[in-house]
Amino acid sequence: MLKMTHLSKVYRTEVVETYALRDFNIDVKEGEFVAVTGPSGSGKTTFLTIAGLLETFSGGEYHLDGIEVSNLNDNARSKIRNEKIGFIFQAFNLIPDLNVFDNIEVPLRYRGMKAAERKQRIMDSLERVGLASRAKHYPAELSGGQQQRVAIARALAGSPRLLLADEPTGNLDTQMARSVLELLEDIHREGATIVMVTHDPELAARAQRNVHIIDGQVVDLSEDPRFHTVHAVDEAHG
Amino acid sequence: MQIKPILAALRHHKAGTILVALQIALTLAIVCNALFIIRQRLVHLSEPSGVDEASLFVIYNGWADQAATMQFDAQVRTDLAALRQLPSVRNAAPASSCPLCGDGDDVPVMLAPDQTQWIADPAMYAGDEQLLDTLGVKLVAGRNFRADEIGKMGSRDFTVPPVVIVSRTLADRLFPRGEALGKPIYMMSNTPSTIIGIVDRLQRQNVGGWTRPYAYQSMLWPMRPVSSQGLYYIVRAKPGQLAAAMREAPKALYAEDRMRIIDPEHGTLSFAEVRRRIYDSDLGMAILMGLISVVLLAITAAGIVGLTSFWVGQRRKQIGVRRALGATRRDILGYFLTENLLIGLGGVLVGTVLAIGINLWMVTQFEMARLSLAYVMTGVVALLLLGQGAVLGPALRASRVSPVEATRSV
Repeated sequence: MLKMTHLSKVYRTEVVETYALRDFNIDVKEGEFVAVTGPSGSGKTTFLTIAGLLETFSGGEYHLDGIEVSNLNDNARSKIRNEKIGFIFQAFNLIPDLNVFDNIEVPLRYRGMKAAERKQRIMDSLERVGLASRAKHYPAELSGGQQQRVAIARALAGSPRLLLADEPTGNLDTQMARSVLELLEDIHREGATIVMVTHDPELAARAQRNVHIIDGQVVDLSEDPRFHTVHAVDEAHG
Repeated sequence: MQIKPILAALRHHKAGTILVALQIALTLAIVCNALFIIRQRLVHLSEPSGVDEASLFVIYNGWADQAATMQFDAQVRTDLAALRQLPSVRNAAPASSCPLCGDGDDVPVMLAPDQTQWIADPAMYAGDEQLLDTLGVKLVAGRNFRADEIGKMGSRDFTVPPVVIVSRTLADRLFPRGEALGKPIYMMSNTPSTIIGIVDRLQRQNVGGWTRPYAYQSMLWPMRPVSSQGLYYIVRAKPGQLAAAMREAPKALYAEDRMRIIDPEHGTLSFAEVRRRIYDSDLGMAILMGLISVVLLAITAAGIVGLTSFWVGQRRKQIGVRRALGATRRDILGYFLTENLLIGLGGVLVGTVLAIGINLWMVTQFEMARLSLAYVMTGVVALLLLGQGAVLGPALRASRVSPVEATRSV
């Protein structure tokens, strides 16, 4: 589903080159629930933005759902984001001027979907996250947990092949975090592929597989507790 | 189209939206009316006076010493003979004033000696039997003055002539059924004056606001002005010889008698210059209103650019989220263009009502003409295009916002 091989991301200035990811290898199979962990500045978010086609990478290969994405133009990348990827952000990223219904409708409109189908999908996804009665509410009228559920509904409404979650419980209290996590687990059990970036070990433990990143590279914790670097493709599934 | 969510979003930015829409509305209302007035003024100042403007020039001749009326009359006759003999001159005539010259007399006209309310207040040009040919006005009915009908008009005289020639507009005003020729009229006197001729078109001396509806109501009196205050010599040059005639005529007059005053700079004016001077304020007003319109349009465009730029900056994260959710650059560009179009449509809707309202008010207050809907429609299209043009820059900047903005914490 998601395969990065020898991928690198370099930020260049006139005097210095900074590697955010270096010889980065990961392979996420369809239906997996992978937690990507690592300390601040390790490259987790860079990995997520590249995985979500939010930014380009400097070298290596990236196959998403069988498509090599490095040479795609902006429009093609937008189309893949819209059709294959569902995003769940730490800050929910709902549009404050739109109500819940309209927020979920945003990606469906970009897909050019007909109004009736949009409505059906929106109501289905709201049912799924238990917020069908809040369709006309604005984000500011919802709790943090409810907002994140709306964000999940927005991600699910487009039936994506891959769910990318960036610290999905980072802005929530324990109880709300638990309910959001349970929702993600339910979604995973129903067959979704989920890649979740988190620095919360407890959260990571709930995932099917953990991938740890340090200094822009994947580290296999099971082989070396001192976090030595692995250059081969990560094969430790499950 | 994503009109519904855009409208939903605009409801959360009421202040900015209403301000820009109002700015568009006011600009439309003011610019439409301003352009309409400008157009009217331009039409007004290019309206033909009825005289042979290309060949005419006027000399304002003042007298340097006071003399008896008879002496002035003799001098005027001598002057005219001298002018008419010039090889570059076709004809010349004395006149108390001339069309568009700015000063002169109006004479209230009644149809009966005991009438107290005048029917018309036309401009009056006193001159001799050559005035008609000199001006080049077209006689459409009746006859010209005969030489034996020409009297004298001094500064203190008020002798009503027995015959007059009127403009067609005045004739129609006095006798709407078209039977003016041969009819008597009364001009502040119990003595009637008979209309012996009708000329096609002859504009007044002045073009001020109140005179506009009566611009072509004028009449000719068969009287040589022999006032000590001076007179106009109207000179019609032969084709292509206007400049030569303008040089020769004052010299010829001074050669006859040096006891006269002809301003070396402004005493001899071509009719084109006479026209330019009288319409100076109209042209100035048209230019001023044009400038105000341009400034207003620029301010509106700047307002749209400013607000959209502010919104783009404010919604940077939101744009990033939209891009992350699959919006293409074109989608983002379209979003801001559509948003501006919706605000613009609201603005022009209110602006149309305002434009028509302002015009109706001016129609009742200042006797202005009704605003043509073509102006409103042109204004609507122009303002919508201006809005789209103004928003294009900020919208393009918005479309270049990277989807990675969605992951930024601020």
